[in-house]
This record gives sequence, C-alpha cells and structure tokens, in this order.
Amino acid sequence: MKLLNLTQEEEIYYCLPLDIDRNGDFVQNSYTVMTNRRILTLEEGKIGQSFLLSEIQAVKSEPQIACGIVYVVAEGKEILLGRFSAKHLTRYSYLFRGLEILKQGRKEHVVSNEYERSCPKCKRALPGTRECPRCSGKKEGIAYVFVNMLMPHKHRLFVIAVLMFLATFVTLANPAIQRYLVDEVLIPGVNDWGKAGMCLFLMLLMTSGIVFVNAAKSYLCSKLGAYISEDQREKLFRKIQSLSLSFINERSPGELMNRITRDTERIKDFFGDVFCNLFTVVILFVCVCAFMLILNWKLAILAFVFAPFSVALSMGWRKQIKKRFHLQGAKSDKMNNNLQDVISGMSVVKSYGQEKRESEHFDETAEEFAKIQKSNEVFFAVFYPILNFALSVGTYLVIYVGGKNVLVGNMTPGELLQFVNYTSMLYMYINWISGMPRALMNLVTSLERIGDVLNQDPSILDGPGAVDHEIVGEVVFDRASFGYKSYQPVLEDVNLTVHPGEMIGLVGASGTGKSTLINLIMHLYEVDDGAIYIDGVDIRNIRLENYHSQIGVVLQENFLFAGTIFNNIRFAKPDATYEEVIRVAKMANAHDFICKLPDGYNTYVGEKGYSLSGGERQRIAIARAMLTNPRLLILDEATASLDTESEYLIQRALGRLTKGRTTFAIAHRLSTLKDADRLVVIDGHRIAEVGSHEELLAKKGIYYGLVQAQMQTSAPKEA
Amino acid sequence: MREKENNESFSLEKMEQETDEMLRIRYLNRSNAKFEATNTGFLSLRVGEEYYPRVAVVRMFPFLHKDELISIRTTDERSKEIGIIEKFSDVDEETVKLLQDQLTLRYFTPIITRIHQIKDEYGYAYWTVDTDHGPCRFTIQMGGNGIVHLSDTRILIIDIDENRFEIPDIDRLTMKERKKLDLFL
Repeated sequence: MKLLNLTQEEEIYYCLPLDIDRNGDFVQNSYTVMTNRRILTLEEGKIGQSFLLSEIQAVKSEPQIACGIVYVVAEGKEILLGRFSAKHLTRYSYLFRGLEILKQGRKEHVVSNEYERSCPKCKRALPGTRECPRCSGKKEGIAYVFVNMLMPHKHRLFVIAVLMFLATFVTLANPAIQRYLVDEVLIPGVNDWGKAGMCLFLMLLMTSGIVFVNAAKSYLCSKLGAYISEDQREKLFRKIQSLSLSFINERSPGELMNRITRDTERIKDFFGDVFCNLFTVVILFVCVCAFMLILNWKLAILAFVFAPFSVALSMGWRKQIKKRFHLQGAKSDKMNNNLQDVISGMSVVKSYGQEKRESEHFDETAEEFAKIQKSNEVFFAVFYPILNFALSVGTYLVIYVGGKNVLVGNMTPGELLQFVNYTSMLYMYINWISGMPRALMNLVTSLERIGDVLNQDPSILDGPGAVDHEIVGEVVFDRASFGYKSYQPVLEDVNLTVHPGEMIGLVGASGTGKSTLINLIMHLYEVDDGAIYIDGVDIRNIRLENYHSQIGVVLQENFLFAGTIFNNIRFAKPDATYEEVIRVAKMANAHDFICKLPDGYNTYVGEKGYSLSGGERQRIAIARAMLTNPRLLILDEATASLDTESEYLIQRALGRLTKGRTTFAIAHRLSTLKDADRLVVIDGHRIAEVGSHEELLAKKGIYYGLVQAQMQTSAPKEA
Repeated sequence: MREKENNESFSLEKMEQETDEMLRIRYLNRSNAKFEATNTGFLSLRVGEEYYPRVAVVRMFPFLHKDELISIRTTDERSKEIGIIEKFSDVDEETVKLLQDQLTLRYFTPIITRIHQIKDEYGYAYWTVDTDHGPCRFTIQMGGNGIVHLSDTRILIIDIDENRFEIPDIDRLTMKERKKLDLFL
C-alpha cells in the first residue's frame, strides 16, 4: 500500500468505510484506516487527514439520525474525520476499543461478535442468522441436518415410502385400465359382461383405494412432522436455557419464541403439505412423461410445449394472489391494531371525550379493509375459473389433435383416453412443482434459524476442572473488568474483598454498573479481565448448578411463575416439605397474608391468576430465597416502590434473611442500607468509595452528596 | 468554558436552579447568540457569558418543520438545551449556512427520485433506486416496520440497517414505479 505511505513495521489494523460524504452523497473508496501508528482517512482514494496515535486521546463514533460520524479528540479538541451510513454504526463503535489496545502497545484485534444484517457474498438479507441460508456453502450441511432429523423416525419413513409407491402405482395404472376397458371391452357387438364388470370393479377398487392410501400417507406424514417439530422444539428449549444470558438479551423474547414455535411449525407444515407428496409427484411426473412419449411422442411434445406456458400462468396467478391478499392482511392488521389501541386506551379516550373522533377513525380503516376484501373476492371468483380454463388449454389441444388421429385410425380411442388422463396429470404436477422452490426455501430458512441456535456454544460452561464447592461466604474481586459489549466497559478494574457474613450495600447513580456487579457475582456473565474468587476458588472453577443452588436472589420486580403460591415458594427446592415452606413464609412475614387469601397457599398466581401487591410478591420472593438457606444473598432494589407499612415488614423479613449471610444489596433509598456493614460507591465504572456509613459521611465525598440530596428532597415540607 | 459538573456537593438550591433552567425557554437570535464554525468540522456557540466549543443542532419537528424550531444542545451525555432558534430569519444568513451545514451532517435521509426495481424475495424486499444523493440499493424487511406513513402521500422507508429514505409524494411517481410500490402501501 504505497498510497498510505506506510513506514516500516507499520501495519493496518482496522479499515472501515466512510460511505457518505459531508453533504450526504454516496461515495466510494473512502475509508477510515487505523494502523499501529496512525489513524487516517482516505477520501476517494487520497489521504485526507492523518494523526499519530500518540497525539490523539480518543477516537469516537457518534450515532446521528440514520447515519454516524467519527471524530478524534486531540489536545482537547474534537476533530471530525468523516461520516458513514447506519450500516456501519456498530462496526465503528469498536474502533474506540481498538485504539485503547493499540495505544497500550498490545497487538490483539478487536472482533465484533454482532451478526451481519446481510450476506457479504450474495447481498441478501440474513434472517437473523450468522450463515446465509442461500450461500452458506454448506448445502450438504442442511441436507445432513435434514437427514439427521429424520433418522430417529426410520420405521415411520419406511411405511410412508411403501405408501408412496402404492399411490404412484395406482395413479399410473388407473388410466391403463380405462384404456383396456374402452379398447378391448366396450366394443359394439361384443357383450363380454364379465370383463366389463372386472374392469369396473378394478377401477372402483383403485379409485377408492387411492383415497385410503392418500389419507394414510397424509396422516403419517403429518404425524412425522409433528414428531420432528416436537424434537426440534425440545432441543431448542434445552439449548436456549443452557445459553448464557448475553445470547438471550441480544434477542427479543418474541424472536426466540418464534424460533421455538413458528420455525418448528414450518417444519411440521413442510412434512404435512410438501414432503408427503414430494416423492410421489416427482416419480409420477417422470413416469407420466415417459408413458406419454411411449404412447405417442408427437402428441407428447405438443402437450409439453404448453407446459412452460402453464407454469408461467400459475406462477403469475400465485404472485397476484399473494400481492392482493398481502394487502388485505396489511389492512386487516391496521384495523386490528387500531381496535386494540383504542380498547386498551379506552379510559383515556373517554376521559378526554374523544369517542366520536375515534369512531370516525375506525370507520375509515374498516371501510378500507372492506373495500379491499370485496375487490379480492370478486377477483378470485372471476379469474379463478378463467385460470383453470387457461391451464387446460393444452389438454383441449391434445384432445383435438389426438381425436383427429383416432378418426384417421392412427390411435385407438382408449389410447387417447389414457393419454388425455396423463396430460391432465402432467399439468397438475407441473403446477405443484412450480411452488416447490418457495416451500424448500422456507424450510431451509427455518432449519437455518433453528440450527443457528442449536450450534451456539454457551459462553459460560463448566470447565473441565469444575468442582462442587460449599460456599463459606468470602467474595474477592481481583482487577475485574466487564462490558456487555466488549467495546463498552461497564466495570473497570474492580478490587474488593468481602468477608463471610458481611452485608455490602451498593450505591451509585443508575447506569453505573451496580446491577452488572451483581450479575457477575451470580455468574450470569463472565469477567472479561481479572477474576472473581469465592473462598479463594475462582468462580469459573465452581460447577454452575452447584453454585447457583447456594445463592438466593430478591429483585425489585420479582417474577412469579404461573402456579400456586406454594409452588412458587418452593421453586428453588421442589422437594421442600409443608413445614419448611410455612417456616420460611413466616420468616418472610408472608404467612399471615397468605392465610388471609381465600385459597391460602393454593392461591393461583401468575399472569392470569390472583394479582398480589408489590409488597406481597416481594415477601413471597424473600421466602423463596430463604428456603434454600443460601450462603450468598443478592438484593437488587428489594424495597423500592413499596408503601411504608410493607416496607417495614419487608425490612424485618430481610433482616432475618441477611443474618449471617454474605449479602450484596442495591438500594436507591439509602435508608434501607443502614444495616449494611460496608457501603461500596460505584462511579464512573469503578469503585469510588468503600466504608461504613459513618466513615463515608465523614469523608464528605460522593456518598455524602447522595445522602444530602435525598434528605433534602424527601423531607416533608415545613408549613 | 463548559460548566464543570461537580458531583461532590449536591445542594437543594443548585437542583432547584437546574430545574428552573430546564423549564425556561430561551430563544436564540442574532442579538444574543454568536455561532462560529470550528476549523475541525463542528460549530461553537457563545451566548452571553457561556461558551460551548461544540454544540448539537437538533430539529424538534424533523418531518414537519425542517427549518424552524431548532434546538441547540450540548453534546455531552446529558444533552442539555442551550436555547431554541425559532426560525432562521432570527439569525444572520451566515449563521443559517452554518446551522444548515450541521443539520446536513446530523440528518441523513436521501430522497428517492426514481425507483428502478423492487424485488421481493423470501420476506425481504430489495430496492434499486436513485436518490438526491446518488444511486443506491437497500433492503427492507417485509411485514415489519420498514414503511412509515408520514402522511397519506408521504412515506419514510427504513432499511434493515436503519438507514432512512423518503418518498415525499407518492402521487408524483410514474405508474410503473407506483405499481412496484403498491405492495407496501
């Protein structure tokens, strides 16, 4: 690269496109380049600005509206380097980290783990997967996955295959018998009733037989599909549970649910609708073509000539129908959304007296929908018969030419009948096969999306040397650093030693990393740098299940599963006895309110169940945490947003819970931390102050400021 | 210099003062504000005693009023409002140019002038278009929130990378283009 005037031992580390210019025009050949010595811009192939890494403090990218800018900070000044489209936003956000590492003289590269939105090869959008389903270059991979899916169901497949051959045979044989009937039996003057009856009987047998065969085949294929999708669903669920929270947090719950429900459903549909006919149709198609050629090749070619026309016609029809019904669906969605909006916001609509306007608005959308619906129905009613006619034009032509052949004597009437039968079959199958690419692509996409989850490796795993460890309660942070995204540190260089049984209060403004610290202690995430030791054992060497069984958690919003209060309390210890549950409920000050409920401990809670107040849920969560007698306890805003009375009860309950246990508590209301042995103030991604309440007050630092601010704003106004 | 936040001492007066400041609407005009381009690509502002080495220029109604009601804010995380420019005629022409320049830098929504092709394939639509900033191809997700109706005839298109494109008036498209677009309306 002469262009960059690279000096010796200068190496290009990062190169990111600047795809729009200052005025927003799309440009090519413009880049931000970072080497181990410099950061510079290339503008349309020429060097623009250039800075030595040593003379700049930082390189920053700032998201704008649907684009982004990148600038460097040098001598306290911000200097604009260039501009890029939204496509490159995430990429640029890693540059900052890259500079930090290079400035320290380290050599490793920062690699983004985020998924690309479109395939770098074919430019097609990726359906939320890492590999492109179209050109992942492992088509055999998909086939392998597919075969693997089928393997456990070999015996079912065998039965299905037998049925498929039976169906093929019967379908092909029926026209042959018809020919025999016409040519050999139904001859004027020959009154062979026996043969005629035989033929009729055979035809009846085959026609009714094929109904049963097809029914059995569809039934078995749907069942196979259901089994396979169940397998996949179970596998997915197990996998998603084993994956670390970071994987789950990067995706919306809706998306993961879609993969478990909709993608597996698609696989089931594929088996029910496509797979069960796939081989039959392909074999039939080939056989029909062959038979037609043997019977009368001239006529056959005539029939084939119309095939492309038929394919084009049916594809065009499908496209048109899809477009029309897509539009109808969109309008229907719009109407439904409108309805949902108004109904859920009814109190607002009523209290502002806007009923009339909302009605009018709804009328409009309903009318739009009705209009489209009507037009579609008419379209379908008028054009569908026309399409069917057009599709069979080839058949009429065959009848015409073949009929002439019969009249001349080149062909028997029976042969013509057989031929016409095959021709209509041919068109039917062509029609069916033309829908195949789409069905296959849907399947491949679903398989890819499922495979994408199944092939993920959980980032937090029990190492080979993982051991069970009975926790005593000492927790040590040793130069621990962590960020949810590697380029954005949330905690940096945290050093802290917590003694067994100590209660630590975590204090700091929101977004400073208190909850993150707790997530690290819970081992839901792993530190990027440094280590956390539990009683001198690295947290990574303790078996996860064993570790988690020894910690208790009470959060601000405690999730209660759909089920009874009893089952919710013993969630962490399903074999707990009645006495154990009642004892912890009493300790959590929950027993009395539970007894007051009409259904007592059997009260059904959860989304559709009895709605408990925040304080009540809180106390159930505390009981749940107490049940396992945890050695490590985590309280994240456990008393926020409670009324004074329940706060008092909960404080008492918490007091009992934390006794003798190593506890980490987060609270915004500082008064709730008055029992803490030590307070840790987190500020600017680091531990800023550590000490008891009195020590920190005497220090007059951040904590002092926080206390002052809370006292002044929460004190009642003096009249 | 930008006022330095000191976390160390909170005081009620200060909090109240900040709240009051937040509630106040301060209009900037040629008599009280002095905008100046920095030689590093940004814009600085002096209002009375205050000096800001770099300010953000933000539209309050980016779809309706592109050249009115502009909020001038600090560029730090708190993004505090320094003042509002009600309309461009309140400031000098030179300043308007500087502000426009910053707005161009911040907002990127090419206007589609011609639709060459929209290919719809497996849940995504691939567009090939000309825009006022040059030819461009992009991809949107079908059935998602890719198309936003700003009015009956004006649409905003958001692609899978969150880039934005605008068609200011769909009635002015040719029949052919309109047909391609129909699937999304």
